[in-house]
Formats: sequence, structure tokens, C-alpha cells
Amino acid sequence: MKVRRALRFLCRGALLATLALGLFAGSFTPYSYAHQFRGIPNAAPSAAHWLGTDALGRDLFTRLVYGTRVSLLLAPAAALIASIIAAILGAIAGLRGGWLEKIILACADLSMSLPLLFVLIALRSVLPLDVSPVLSVIATFLALGLIGWPASVRVVWAASRDLRDSDHLLLAQALGYRRSQILFHQVLPCLRPVFLAQFWISIPLFILTEATLSMLGLGVMEPLPSWGNLLRGSEDFSAMAANPWRLVPLLVLVHTVICFQFIFPGSEEIA
Amino acid sequence: MTPGILKFAQKLLLLGALAIMGALLSATIVRFAPGYGVDEHELDSRLSASSRDAIRNRLQLGKGLLSYYGAYLSGLVHGNLGTSAFLERPVAGLLKERAAFTARTVFLGWITAWAAASLLSLLTLRWQSWLLEYSATAATGILIALPTAVVALLCLYLRAPLFLGIAVITLPKLFRYQHNILAQAHIQPFVLAARARGVSPGRILFRHVLPVARPPLLALLAVSASLALGAAIPLEALSDSPGVGQLAWQAALNRDLPLLTSITLFVTLLTAGVNLFSGTLQERRP
Repeated sequence: MKVRRALRFLCRGALLATLALGLFAGSFTPYSYAHQFRGIPNAAPSAAHWLGTDALGRDLFTRLVYGTRVSLLLAPAAALIASIIAAILGAIAGLRGGWLEKIILACADLSMSLPLLFVLIALRSVLPLDVSPVLSVIATFLALGLIGWPASVRVVWAASRDLRDSDHLLLAQALGYRRSQILFHQVLPCLRPVFLAQFWISIPLFILTEATLSMLGLGVMEPLPSWGNLLRGSEDFSAMAANPWRLVPLLVLVHTVICFQFIFPGSEEIA
Repeated sequence: MTPGILKFAQKLLLLGALAIMGALLSATIVRFAPGYGVDEHELDSRLSASSRDAIRNRLQLGKGLLSYYGAYLSGLVHGNLGTSAFLERPVAGLLKERAAFTARTVFLGWITAWAAASLLSLLTLRWQSWLLEYSATAATGILIALPTAVVALLCLYLRAPLFLGIAVITLPKLFRYQHNILAQAHIQPFVLAARARGVSPGRILFRHVLPVARPPLLALLAVSASLALGAAIPLEALSDSPGVGQLAWQAALNRDLPLLTSITLFVTLLTAGVNLFSGTLQERRP
């Protein structure tokens, strides 16, 4: 148990450090993420370029820290959108019941049965490929937020349904509380832990999905960096053996996703 | 007609309705997408006004959404899924060519993932050693943290068959769900009682644990099929394999929206069909 607690503490520290790296990217590097050092493409790491440069001569460390900002700020934003949609729909389904519950759950089941990546690719293709990088970032993470809610709906629905039959809600109704009072003072505080859990679970999922989309050329567009399109530069694995520092973006991504898995106490610890 | 057949017929109807809804939804998205109906041939100055009108008629420009739906559904009924703008070939033929490859790869990957996840879950449950438990959790934790596209590239680099990539992507999630389901069933009071009475582990597993875990495990069949199908897209795209996943990716890159609509219909039918199958199995009494 102590090891687990220490691991959780370490993971939280590492996540905060990575987030700080992204937030204060400008303080860690003097270059712009799009600046090209045309004389030194594919350079090896040096004092001036800690992770070397890419094929276009851009500083890889600079792109990594700015990419961290994009991935680590927008994935939580998308997770927030998905969690809010899930909370609203799940609470309505669980508390109201009846035909509304059936429709919401059927929609969630249909959405869950389709592969997320496929739906994202289909939605992304509606926009032209030559959209501006900023618009591509917004479109990618907005699509993730708008599509990523179905799995969370079922969890929120189950929690709300249990709440519907609870004694304290019955008591509140018997005491003549208004519906809004019951919703804001009785229901939402009880659903908060479920909402937060769904929010934190969605973040690594969205980080990974963005990475795959960007590697397929359908996510964040160049020259804006994200962890996904930084990995796009590492498509040639045989070149990786000669340039192992090119693996750093992948290691940062894997490390971040693993940290997200450990930041919560396990059920046996809560008990 | 027995109630069972009636129920199955109802579900089939629901499946058809869902597929048509999915297709109409994607058709609507296509209809309102920026740049819909713009054909580069219209810019050809050598074409006469009547030729341009013919192109516009072919694309059904200027018609309302309802007539667009009508044309789409009537084509669907007659097996005409349209023509791919990018590949300039009938969509039905393209799907027919590629569906078998994807189905075979996904099925093999799915079976391999189920076999590996079941073996790992049963081993951790049987021996209950912390070393085995932590090793399995750590290994699957690392696999979960890898983006699907990176696994695809690794497969390509190692020249591993495509189905192994699908298995590697599906396995960690499947193992975690399976392990939780089996562990929950394993701590039931009647299982503890059976263990206390000295019933053999094999008998406990097959007579006590699996019957309890059966419904959630059957539900997992459908979820894992969807996971495996989702994994096929980046794998086929990055390894340049002739499957539906690669076709979907090419359609997205080239904004071949009619092709993408038909692939959506195909994927909806496939995943909803697996869900129906899994639901029917769950309803059957043990």
C-alpha cells in the first residue's frame, strides 16, 4: 500500500512537471516551434538543440515542449466537454427514467458500438485537409469532446438511477423541496465523484486518440506541434536505432499516460 | 411463431433501422460538409453549359435534403452504393474486394486477443501471486499507453502479421475487463464456500465462476469486436494493407464522402450485428 501511495505521489509530481513544461514553454526554449535552422536539418543533439533538429531544421525540444502544451491542455478541455455531456444525459436518463432513458441509452449504445477512431476519421474528413493549424486543433479536440461521451453516460446513468431510489432524495421530496433544489443540493454533489472519475479517465484516452489521428495526418496540422504529429516524424523505425533521441516524444507520451493510470487511489486503498 | 423468434425479428428490425439511421446521419453530414458538390470538372473552360448542367445533375445539386435522402435510399435498396470519386470505381465492388481481408484479420486478431487475455486472467486468478498480478498489470498498462498507430508501426518494423497488431491493441483492455469480471465472480460467498469444502480449482472455475461471469463476458464479446475493428484502421493504413480500414483512411484523406458514407453503413451493420449476436447469447438461459 505504501509503495502504491509513493508511486501515486511520484506520478502526480511528474504530471505537474510535464504540465509546467508545456505551460511555460517559452521559458524553457529561446526558439519558436516553427523556426527553421535550414543549415542543420536532422542534426544530432547539441548544447544549442537538446534533442537535435527535424528534417526541416526545426528544434525538436522546442516542438516537444510546445506540443506538450497543445496535448496536455486540450485533452482535458475535450474531456471536460465529454464529461459534461455525459453528466447531463446520464443524470436525465437516470433520474427521469421512462422513454427518455431508453432513447439516451440506445444512442449511447449505438455510439459505443462504433469504433471511436472511425467516427473521428469520418467527422474529420468533412473538413478540408488544408484548414489552418489552429482550426485543425479545435476541430480535433472538439470532435473528441463531442463524440467521447457515450462510455461515461452509462456510468453516470447507473449512479443517478441508484440515487433516484435513495432515501435522502425521497426525504427531500417529502419535505417539499423544489426540483431545482433537489438537483443542485442533493443530486449533483452526489454525482461529483463519478463525474470527476470520468473526466480523469477520458484525458489519457483523448491524448492517445489525438496521437493516432495526427500520425494518420488527420489531427493537428503542421507547423503547430502536438505529441501526435511529433510521432509522425518517427515513422521510420529503422532510423530510430541510429537516432534514439527521436523516441523522446513517444517516451513522454507513454510516461504521461501511465502517470494518469496511477494518480487515483485504488479501490482497496479507499476501503 | 414463438416469442423467441418474434424477439429476434424485432432485434433484426432494430438493427436495420439503426443502420439506415447511421447511413442517413452520415449522408446528412456529407450533404452539409464545406465544399459539398464542388466538382473540379466544372472549372474546365472547354465544357459547354449543358455538360456542366449534366455534372450538376449527377451530383444532385440544388435539390432538397429529402430528395437527397430519397436518392440515397433508393440507390441503397438497389445495391447501388454510388461511385468512389477518388478511385472512380463502384463503392459496392470496392467494399466486396476489401471486406474479406479486414474480416479475416480482425477475426484472427480478436480470437488471439481473447485467447491471450483469458489465459492471463485465468493464470492470475489460479495462482494469485502478487508477482504475476503486478507483471500482468504493468505489461498491459504499458501496452495501453501506446498509441494504436505506434503499435502499427512496430508491427510493420518487426514484419509481424497484421492480426498480431490487432491482438496487441485489444489485449490490454480485454485483459483488464476480463480480470475484473472473473475476480468479482471469484470472491462470491458460494465460491469461497466451495473452496473451503475442498472443491478442485478446475471445478470451481467451470461450475461456479464462469456461470456467474458469463453475462458480462458475453457483453465483452461485442465491445472487444468494436475495439478490434477500430484497431484495424491505423494498422491497415500504415502498413498499406488492402482492407476496409485503409479504404476509410484514403476516403478521409481524399474527402471521398460517398465512399465514407458507405463504409459507415458497413461498419454500423457489422458492429450492430455483433452486438445483436452477443445480446442474443446473453438472453439464452444457461
